Amino acid sequence: MKISYFETGRYIPPPDMPREWPVRSGSCDPDTVSHALRGMAERGRFVEKLGFDWISLSEHHYSPRILTPSPAVSAAWLVGQVERIKIALLGPIVPTSNPIRVAEEFAMLEALAPGRIVAGLLRGTTNEYLSYDLNADEARGRTDEGMELILKAWTEPEAFGWQGRYFQFRTVSIWPRRQENGLQSYVLGTSAEAGSFAARHRMGMGVSYGPFEVMARATAHYRRECEAFGWTPGRDDIVFRANMILAETDEQADAMLAGRDARPPFPIGGRLRDALIAADTSRNIAGQRMQANVGGVLPISFCGGPDRVVEQIRRCRDVVGTGVLDISLTDPGTDSLDAMMDSLALFGRTVLPRVRDI
Amino acid sequence: MSFRESFVEADGFHIRYMEAGDGPVLVHLHGAGGMRLHRGHDLLALKHRVIIMEMPGFGSSAENTRSASTRDLAETMAAAIRALGIGSYDLMGTSYGGKVVLWLAALHPDRVRALVLEAPAAIRPLDARPSTGTPEERARRIYAHPERMPPPPPVDDVVQARQLALVMRSIGPARDAELEERMRGMETPVLVLFGTMDRIIPSEMGRHYKALLPHCHLIFVYDAGHAPGAERPEAFSEAVTDYLARQEAFVVTRRGTMIFP
Repeated sequence: MKISYFETGRYIPPPDMPREWPVRSGSCDPDTVSHALRGMAERGRFVEKLGFDWISLSEHHYSPRILTPSPAVSAAWLVGQVERIKIALLGPIVPTSNPIRVAEEFAMLEALAPGRIVAGLLRGTTNEYLSYDLNADEARGRTDEGMELILKAWTEPEAFGWQGRYFQFRTVSIWPRRQENGLQSYVLGTSAEAGSFAARHRMGMGVSYGPFEVMARATAHYRRECEAFGWTPGRDDIVFRANMILAETDEQADAMLAGRDARPPFPIGGRLRDALIAADTSRNIAGQRMQANVGGVLPISFCGGPDRVVEQIRRCRDVVGTGVLDISLTDPGTDSLDAMMDSLALFGRTVLPRVRDI
Repeated sequence: MSFRESFVEADGFHIRYMEAGDGPVLVHLHGAGGMRLHRGHDLLALKHRVIIMEMPGFGSSAENTRSASTRDLAETMAAAIRALGIGSYDLMGTSYGGKVVLWLAALHPDRVRALVLEAPAAIRPLDARPSTGTPEERARRIYAHPERMPPPPPVDDVVQARQLALVMRSIGPARDAELEERMRGMETPVLVLFGTMDRIIPSEMGRHYKALLPHCHLIFVYDAGHAPGAERPEAFSEAVTDYLARQEAFVVTRRGTMIFP
């Protein structure tokens, strides 16, 4: 099992800060935000020293919960601050992005850090469509087409044009070009469409924030699709992003879970939430319809002392097929940075050495 | 758009063609499955006088045992277009027809203003084969989304066998050294279009045309198979019409992005 640390920017919000998403921009304190982002270096070096395999980044907007609206900018800075650890961009939100720009940024990052960049492409959560004014009805189509265009831009040696449904380019010819066998790449999502796309293009798959049995439905679909396309995914081809509470003992961890705030750190107002859910009707897990998760509390998938967590990781491997576990050790957007660093150290000391062979 | 059926005599053949629209002449030569009209033709005919010609030996025409190569067919079709009194023209070829029109442009460069190659079969992977079988089997190979297409017309086994024999006899090798040598010196502007889901000639073949032809633009039509003009007619015809109007300048966009003045 490979272990990835999910870096979220770690802005510590003052108690009186407005909490409803989108959070007013005027509440952003420049000194605090600079400290939070520059702290990525310290945290990156820390987990690298602990023996983590990846640092992962994501794209979120309009709140300090996850303070990395541009994963490419985050990665470009972070990759110069660490030495060996891989930087996984999980990832740019494809339907709101210019796919050519995404292709160029990944190729550039890979040239700056050969063999150390991991590319994840995803549809993104429903509230993020508000950030760049995207009609949720078009998100699925734009994601599928955008990913296809990114792959073409990475691999086609001749200049080409693109006549899509949502994207049109008369000339595409990116520099730098992606390395021939470079960029470990993933499609992120539980949908049948994501699994099928990843299988067709021999890419990995990433799932997140759900019970093992539910995530297993998505990864089983992916494996079946891979088989249909004549290949078998390897150990590193399934990533699972999840929250973890780790303490010295099970009792301490259970107490932390019981004391966890039941409200999301930056909730989305009821009418806006309802409108977003109504607008986003194509969410599914391996083809089975599900409601969009808009601003809900994300579950804790691992909780316990080291022994129990090791067993939970083993079970995650067996049930989901996970080869790379991407973890948050405290909820993003909460104010417990020291607690997170303590948990990371505990994880590195007591769990990491025992999950390598899982 | 209503296409009219007519016939022309050329090179000893009685050749059927369909015609519609006004404007610069665009002649289209079909693929190995024969002539089949679709919405892409209607859209092209909004800006062009579109003439779709049925090559001898295809469809309801008499069996063609004489044409030994795509080069022979190119000469025949050049004579047919000449017989219609057309001096210069834009020329489009689909799949197998793509090789015929390449030969035609190579042999009569003064006649052809620009070439459009739709999923051309002039350069093929070694394991490529013409689409055969039942209409449903052929549709599954030709289209990315056969379920979105109109039901395929019934196939006359005798006609299909005759067409297949002609195609296999005339198409030539997967890499045709003589034609490729001609392509290297071709001054005609060429637009090549491939569907990203082409299961007969993979879209990666497009790069060979770019490498060989001095004035070539390559376009991928997203989510289309081996017949992008039929499957994504709006996307296909927009690129073709713009290219034929502006040729290499078509890379300079005219699309506006202003939302409100």
